[in-house]
Amino acid sequence: MEIDTVTDSRTLKVNDLLKDIRIDYDSLTNLVDDFVSSIKESIDAIPDDFKVTSELAPSFVSEIGADKVEFNFKKPNGFSLCGSYSIRCMAKPDACVDLLVHLPKECFYEKDYMNHRYHAKRCLYLCVIRKHLLSSSSVEKVEWSSLQNEARKPVLVVFPAKKLDQFPGFSIRIIPSATSLFNVAKLSMSRNNVRSVSADGVPQPTPTYNSSILEDMFLEENSELLKKTFSEWKELGDALILLKIWARQRSSIYTHDCLNGFLISLILSYLATHGKFNKSLNALDIFRVTLDFIATSKLWERGLFFPPQSENRVSKEEKMQFRELFPVVICDPSTLVNLAFRMTSVGFQELQDEASSTLKCMKLRDGGFEEVFMTKIDYPVKYDHCVRLHLKGKPAVSVSGYCLDKECWRIYEQKVHSLLQQGLGDRAKSIRVVWRNTNQDWHVESGLSVLDREPLFIGISISSIEKAFRTVDIGPDAENKLEALKFRRFWGNKSELRRFKDGRIAESTVWETQQWTKHLIVKQIIEYIIKRHLSLSADDIVQLVDQLDFSLIYGDKDPMSTSGNLLQAYEVFSKCLREIEGIPLKVSSVQPLDSALRFTSVFPPEPHPVACEKIDARRLHKLLPSCIPTMEVMIQLEGSGNWPIGDLAIEKTKSAFLLKIAENLQNVEGIPCTATEDNVDVFMGGYAFRMRIMHERGLSLVKRDIGADPVKQVSSIDKMLFIRSQHASMINGLQGLFPTYAPVARLAKRWVSAHLFSGCLAEEAIELLVAHVFLTPLPLGVPCSRINGFLRFLRLLADYDWMFYPLIVDINNDFGRNDEKEINDNFMASRKGYEKDRQNISSAMFLAAPYDKASEAWTSTSPNLSEQKRLAAYARSSANVLSKLVLHEHNDSVQWECLFRTPLNNYDAVVLLHRDKLPYPRRLLFPSELNQGKHVARGKASTAFNPFLLPGDLKRSHEELKKKLMVDFEPTKCFMSGLQEEFGTLKPWYDHIGGDAIGLTWNKHNSKV
Amino acid sequence: MQRKKKEKTSNVELSELPQAISSEKTKGKKVELKKKMQKSKRKVEETSSSPADGKMQKKRKAKGGNVDISELSQITSEEKIKGNKSKLNKTKNKRKAEEINSGPVDHEDDHLKSEVDGDKGSSEDVNADMASNETETRNRNLKGKSKKSNKKRKTNRSSTKENETSSEKMNETEEEKDVYQISSGDEDCSKGMKKWVTDYYESRPGLDELQKRIDDFMTDHEERLEQERKDREAKAAEGGWTVVVHHKGRKKTTDPESGIAVGSVNQTALEDQVAKKKQSEPVAHGFYRFQRREAQRNEILALQSKFEQDKKRIQQLRAARKFKPY
Repeated sequence: MEIDTVTDSRTLKVNDLLKDIRIDYDSLTNLVDDFVSSIKESIDAIPDDFKVTSELAPSFVSEIGADKVEFNFKKPNGFSLCGSYSIRCMAKPDACVDLLVHLPKECFYEKDYMNHRYHAKRCLYLCVIRKHLLSSSSVEKVEWSSLQNEARKPVLVVFPAKKLDQFPGFSIRIIPSATSLFNVAKLSMSRNNVRSVSADGVPQPTPTYNSSILEDMFLEENSELLKKTFSEWKELGDALILLKIWARQRSSIYTHDCLNGFLISLILSYLATHGKFNKSLNALDIFRVTLDFIATSKLWERGLFFPPQSENRVSKEEKMQFRELFPVVICDPSTLVNLAFRMTSVGFQELQDEASSTLKCMKLRDGGFEEVFMTKIDYPVKYDHCVRLHLKGKPAVSVSGYCLDKECWRIYEQKVHSLLQQGLGDRAKSIRVVWRNTNQDWHVESGLSVLDREPLFIGISISSIEKAFRTVDIGPDAENKLEALKFRRFWGNKSELRRFKDGRIAESTVWETQQWTKHLIVKQIIEYIIKRHLSLSADDIVQLVDQLDFSLIYGDKDPMSTSGNLLQAYEVFSKCLREIEGIPLKVSSVQPLDSALRFTSVFPPEPHPVACEKIDARRLHKLLPSCIPTMEVMIQLEGSGNWPIGDLAIEKTKSAFLLKIAENLQNVEGIPCTATEDNVDVFMGGYAFRMRIMHERGLSLVKRDIGADPVKQVSSIDKMLFIRSQHASMINGLQGLFPTYAPVARLAKRWVSAHLFSGCLAEEAIELLVAHVFLTPLPLGVPCSRINGFLRFLRLLADYDWMFYPLIVDINNDFGRNDEKEINDNFMASRKGYEKDRQNISSAMFLAAPYDKASEAWTSTSPNLSEQKRLAAYARSSANVLSKLVLHEHNDSVQWECLFRTPLNNYDAVVLLHRDKLPYPRRLLFPSELNQGKHVARGKASTAFNPFLLPGDLKRSHEELKKKLMVDFEPTKCFMSGLQEEFGTLKPWYDHIGGDAIGLTWNKHNSKV
Repeated sequence: MQRKKKEKTSNVELSELPQAISSEKTKGKKVELKKKMQKSKRKVEETSSSPADGKMQKKRKAKGGNVDISELSQITSEEKIKGNKSKLNKTKNKRKAEEINSGPVDHEDDHLKSEVDGDKGSSEDVNADMASNETETRNRNLKGKSKKSNKKRKTNRSSTKENETSSEKMNETEEEKDVYQISSGDEDCSKGMKKWVTDYYESRPGLDELQKRIDDFMTDHEERLEQERKDREAKAAEGGWTVVVHHKGRKKTTDPESGIAVGSVNQTALEDQVAKKKQSEPVAHGFYRFQRREAQRNEILALQSKFEQDKKRIQQLRAARKFKPY
């Protein structure tokens, strides 16, 4: 490889990728040749002329609707290798080689193209082959599969007895081909060949059915065509491999109604034969040109037509006909068959979207290699709202037969899609309905009726949160009778006539719900529509929306529902502060620091009746907690030159100011306060606020010195306050921009602490990670649901390459080239020690934010490398479980709880706390239980503390009651600090939100010091 | 990996136990514990099953060994009694652990575990070496104990120190029960919840009291400053001259004592000005040919260095086998 040709790192990476993904044909060829010849042998050994009847697969034949399927067996006309193996473009881990078996003409009658007779015979023929292959010694097993999920066209997958470690899962797919079996004129698109397809007694054309047969008839020719284009053009082959990798990573386009390997190679070869590729282009360029073609070309509207090989030119009418019948047309050189006949318009739309988003990725500064080729985009991470319909044993699916022009499952897909589209309207950006109903363990002998076992999958991308959360959908005006009737028919009882503010009277649907359950509106709608129109029961509809919400519930509701009060109290409080007279320096600004004030706290404080200016005795009867968490608020004072020097003196002066403020509030406004030497807490409207003063003098220096020289004379306390205030305002802005940000951040925090990582990953760092998910969503869209956002957070944590890349969170898009260079330099400095010693790096997670380009704020000391790896391992496992839950598992709440239930066997010792002594017992997710290890000690619970105010306390005077209320008292924290004091060699793992377990591990690093 | 480790350690435990018990009777605790540790270390080295990476492991073991010893001194000093007990409990403990390992483990947990272990990588061997040590920790930290256990234990320990012989007997009886009982700590306020609650109330003596404390501090502080100033002046008066210290860097424009700008220009304002000046140069970039050439050259250099960096990174990536999109 000459260095000149390699222009950037992306090309380097792509070359490496290709090297890894290509298959070594030298060693594979032997394997394939051996196996193919043994397959041929055993097929050739089948005696001719014995009678084949439907006995071999009776239910398949009857359910497909065919009759007169008996034939005398003849040996195949021949065999030929086709597919990606024959053009040497296989991409690992795919190790399946396609073998065409040419069906002999003698087995078929002239009219067998009618009424699925061809399909039935084709299947029976395979049954015979299978029976004989099974008895061969060189064959390990033979499985059934289907061609592009089309159940009426089964194929055989044969696994050899002899295996090579080099090619795991190597198999040969036996595909029957039907070259010139039938008269092609009879199969033209406008003809009806399935008699039962008729409307009012008039037979309707069966284009899909005809295409299905024609496809088999031209399999050989098309495979020859591909061979011709791909031989002698290495770059084209490489581009095909790249495209395959790209498509395989995107499950939403690599499906039966969209793209497959064959179609990709067809598109490539179309572009090649039409001279779209210069011979000098490299594989990546071809890749890009192809994507650009897919995303933007106008040719799709006219259809792609290969140059016809014979005289018969495609007439305009024929082209028009293809266009009318199929959303996408790729017509082969025979001019008779549209090879993209399975593609739906929704699938194609999806394909175009993916292609254009990939092109966007490739314009990223680092070339987007990771995003384009390495990121798995499966359904759970792609769609905001996933739904599974369990249709097993539902006769409605196949009420008019399994196979007509299209198969019943495809028709059902369409039906569900159009229903949802109508029901959701502009709430959904795109809706994808995919029913991958033929799977590995299907046997044709068991017929088509069993093909409804897999659930039907619906993926919905939300267009925008505002639209999705809308409570009223306005339909047609009442005067427009026809439309109104339609609307009523669709919505049934749900539609009501309403008069709107602008005087309009219109049909409408209203989805009433509480503020904090608005994300469930889409769920309500879907459930209503599906129940109404598909008559399914609620058990058959699994919607993945609110399954994680249990982790955020406090008592019986989401504590977010009271955060309106919280903000109000804060506003009043900050106004009070700014209006205080009688202190030497006036308060110039008040800023929130606590995450509750930006909606990202897992449990924002609940209003406490005791923490008020005036205690309302009527509200004192409930079970009241005896602890109240504080929320930090940052205060800035007017500038002054009279501040003392020295950190300690400054801090003391700050305390003095705070005490003065507190005194003032207490005496003038009657707002109760409490204070220690370091903290001053104010009770206001049921909440406790903790005041912090930032000293302005440090500020101007902080601004410039961030990242450069942290020592200077800025006190670290002021610096930290400054950073926190910057962080708070930025995150606050972000959560306003993305309404799902806050719940996702809360879920992420809950997850991290539930797995006892509270000591490793700061809450702010989690907020930044989640911010990254929202700010740099490519190659996906911005997440619009909790589960989706949470899954992406987990994947980010699991897959991000922390060792080699800094994570840059560019909140306001204000990083320029120089900033990036600075960050990169800082990052490289933190990785300097890596070459020598893999453990020797500072900040295992490098998080750069606009206020912190050197990752000093949150992740400089923890997590360390081993903690980060542990985190990643946990995240990977949780992400896998979550994806599985979205795709397959039944909706079992225990399974979902597993995501937050941490295994306690990964520690050297575990301490279980007395659950009734936790300050906020309702925050506990699950009571931890140990059923392993040895129980060595049991402690008696102290009587000194009770998490709830006792009835006796409630009877006391209000002043005493206020004293009883403990501000920011956390026994767990006290215990942790005691633990660390006495046993420095133990590393504790804990949950700061409210867990009852503490894991302990032997800390090797500390012990060396 | 986990399995292997357990087996290894259990081997050590079993073979070492009779010796340990016999020595227990005769020798002083401190010495004995140390000896045992060394013995077990040797054992591990001998029993290390795979000869292929034997050398590597040994090397690491040696490292681990050092750590052990350094820790040991810490541990032995305060963990005399503990050592005894752990020995006795150890076999049981281990056997149990093995059972758990072989038993049906929750699938997810298992998965997690293996991944975590895999990630731990090289440190695992050290870990294995320390297993004998670890069991002590395990005992010391009491699986499934109450929150105050550690601390309670300490207080208990100090009381038992005096009558060691009796405590040993006690330990034996405890072993039957297996579960160590810890008091709630409500009686004495030196540890535990009671202490924390008391601390909490003590730290809130009321606004006036706090104000007084701060005032005291301030007067103290000022007095100290005054004193320092006086000292300085006295020193200066004594010799009749002062040492002029050369200040590195630019002249300060703010008086450090008062924070007031002394010079006519504020430092920050000045620097802002300078920065602004730099930005708006009289001639736009790329006006002169030399500028353009320079810019071009710089860009090429930057690109080259970036390219080199990328190459290095890819090599690292390749080493980490990152090019597998499946």
